[in-house]
Amino acid sequence: MSILANTSPTNKLSTGKVALSIILTSESVFFATMLVAYVALRDQNNWPVEHTLARLSIPLTNTVLLLFSAISAWRATVSLRVGKTSASQAWQILTLLLGLVFVTIQIFEFTHSGMQINDQAYGGVFFTLMGFHGLHVLAGIVFLMINLVRTRLGDFSSTRYDTVEIGSWFWYYVTSVWILLFVALYLL
Amino acid sequence: MTVQAQNSSRIQGAAQRGFLSWVMTVDHKRIGIMYLLSAALFFLVGGLEALLMRIQLAQPESKFLTPDMYNQIFTMHGTTMIFLAVMPLAAGFGNYLIPLMIGARDMVYPKLNALSYWTFLFGGLFMYSSFFFGGAPNDGWFSYAPLTEKLYSPSHGMDFWIMGILLLGFATTIGSINFIVTIIQLRAPGMTLTRLPLFVWTMFVTSFLAVFSLPSLTTAVLLLFLDRELGAHFYNVAQGGSALLWQHLFWFFGHPEVYILILPAMGIVSEVIPVFSGKPLFGYKAVVFSAIGIGFLGFTVWAHHMFATGMPSTTLLFFAADSFLIGVPTGVKIFAWLATMWKGKLRFETPMLFSIGFVALFLIGGLDGIHLAVVPVDWQITDTYYVVAHIHYVLFGGAIFGILSGVYYWFPKMSGRRLDEGLGKWHFWLMFIGMNLVFMPMHILGIEGMPRRIYTYGAGRGWEIWNFIETIGAIIIAAGMLVFIVNFFVSLRKEATNKSDPWDANTLEWKTASPPPAYNFEEIPVVRGLRPLWDEKHPELADWKAAE
Repeated sequence: MSILANTSPTNKLSTGKVALSIILTSESVFFATMLVAYVALRDQNNWPVEHTLARLSIPLTNTVLLLFSAISAWRATVSLRVGKTSASQAWQILTLLLGLVFVTIQIFEFTHSGMQINDQAYGGVFFTLMGFHGLHVLAGIVFLMINLVRTRLGDFSSTRYDTVEIGSWFWYYVTSVWILLFVALYLL
Repeated sequence: MTVQAQNSSRIQGAAQRGFLSWVMTVDHKRIGIMYLLSAALFFLVGGLEALLMRIQLAQPESKFLTPDMYNQIFTMHGTTMIFLAVMPLAAGFGNYLIPLMIGARDMVYPKLNALSYWTFLFGGLFMYSSFFFGGAPNDGWFSYAPLTEKLYSPSHGMDFWIMGILLLGFATTIGSINFIVTIIQLRAPGMTLTRLPLFVWTMFVTSFLAVFSLPSLTTAVLLLFLDRELGAHFYNVAQGGSALLWQHLFWFFGHPEVYILILPAMGIVSEVIPVFSGKPLFGYKAVVFSAIGIGFLGFTVWAHHMFATGMPSTTLLFFAADSFLIGVPTGVKIFAWLATMWKGKLRFETPMLFSIGFVALFLIGGLDGIHLAVVPVDWQITDTYYVVAHIHYVLFGGAIFGILSGVYYWFPKMSGRRLDEGLGKWHFWLMFIGMNLVFMPMHILGIEGMPRRIYTYGAGRGWEIWNFIETIGAIIIAAGMLVFIVNFFVSLRKEATNKSDPWDANTLEWKTASPPPAYNFEEIPVVRGLRPLWDEKHPELADWKAAE
């Protein structure tokens, strides 16, 4: 609704970014309440410690992957801003590939963690938090794919890249949530 | 400007009339009206459920309803009134009025707006379909786990409740995001935040409350769903879960929810009282800050719903003291409304009557709330009819009276006709008297120890007379609502006068035609003060001139 959105030219943030910020704050409350539930359950005496995951190689790999993908998402926006559309496409493809590898590794982790969702409370916490983060990664991948196709079709330029930037913002968010979850579920 | 107007009229011109034009619409005014009508139907259903409960409780040992039916009905009554009546009624007014009040042509995301409405409608219908599939949910509107675990609630009613809440939560979340972004991005030139009409302000705060509190409910019901359907153990103490987790998650949503229900009504009253007092609102900024204050404090008091769960005494102390604090911004508002009326040229037409009714009844409900915030008192009367009295004074005497005030006030804008004044006065007095007959005796019953949610009671406890009076009151309320329904249809059949400003009001929605064209304003208005329409009607006395 660009004809509507332009009535307030003094505003610095685009409408899409305002909307995204509010959505992400709402999402953060969702993850925060999940994490609080986890901490509250953990606090109880009968927490089954033996279920805590000791292996770190897989989640560490995933952390590195997501951090790199956040950098490439950032480069994708910057390249577009300076008019290098093909470079931006390359960065977008790299981000997507890293995201897909992350999802593949996560599926492997889910099937090889030796836990079930009905394995006492920890299993529920692990799969719920990781599962919802995974859904966000998938949503991000769909978003990035649409942006990639639109970049190829020439929808974006050095003056018109807001949607790509919003996609990158979402991807930074997914990465930040992952780091929180990694610390909470593997390190604590 | 004209290109835009032509564009929107061409888009709208495709389908102006007929059933499909309403199904396909993305016009905020039509979506608002559909919200209002659907929510009104749910409100009537919820009211009938209340009437059934009152008939059952009119006499001791009554066999009118079975215990199981009674459980389903009180659960659906609470769920309906909160999620399917009051919240969408406020959303309906918000949809209709926010773009008009801020001088915009539509919401920022019109399609998202339509999605929000249809999700709400089908979420509500979905929940009600449970009556045909093995019984409605029956664990009360706050569905405490572990009582709602599969072991204790094996019927599918609970699953319908969970899925319905997820749908309704989704609808409210996207609707609220739409309100927030619209208010931030689409204000007319000069419509600064300090000139925003109070209804827009309260919807702004309400939307933030919804966006930040609903995720907690989503978490709560998702975890319950995983427990019930996939065998997880979040609320199962034997397997490392927690029995209090639900209550914390639920009330972290549930208390802001109370303000989600009442703030829009406060906004309506803050629009109506100045117009019918012929004065600007007293202490505009104080009222705005008190709304923000209520919204903020609303997030910090949730555990006062849980005083009887054996929390540590320091926790009790904190939440009790914090709950008292909410009385301060609420008091500021009540003083502002009274001061607005003070020495005003008062007109006691129906919108004003309902607004004054709101102030009076909400005050009683608020004082009840302070009683309940006192921990030792709460221990005595928690889960008794005292709590039922409190919630209905704030949500029925408060939210519903405020919303009815809005219905009488904005009906001429939506339809081009005023509701009949004589029938309106009957409606108000029947509702006001009936309301007090039902809910005032509940204080006494609560102190006498009658628990809420019991399907019947034994004779000889001294509860019979009060219960009987309450049932009479409920019938009077029902009569009042019948008068309203008659009024609604009779007034719609009258010839439209299409007066753009029938109440001599101050805000921008009265500047355009009644009902407004699809594009709202031919020219986007420029705002120079708190009362843009007053400024236009009285250029010599304009607010901005007085300020200079």
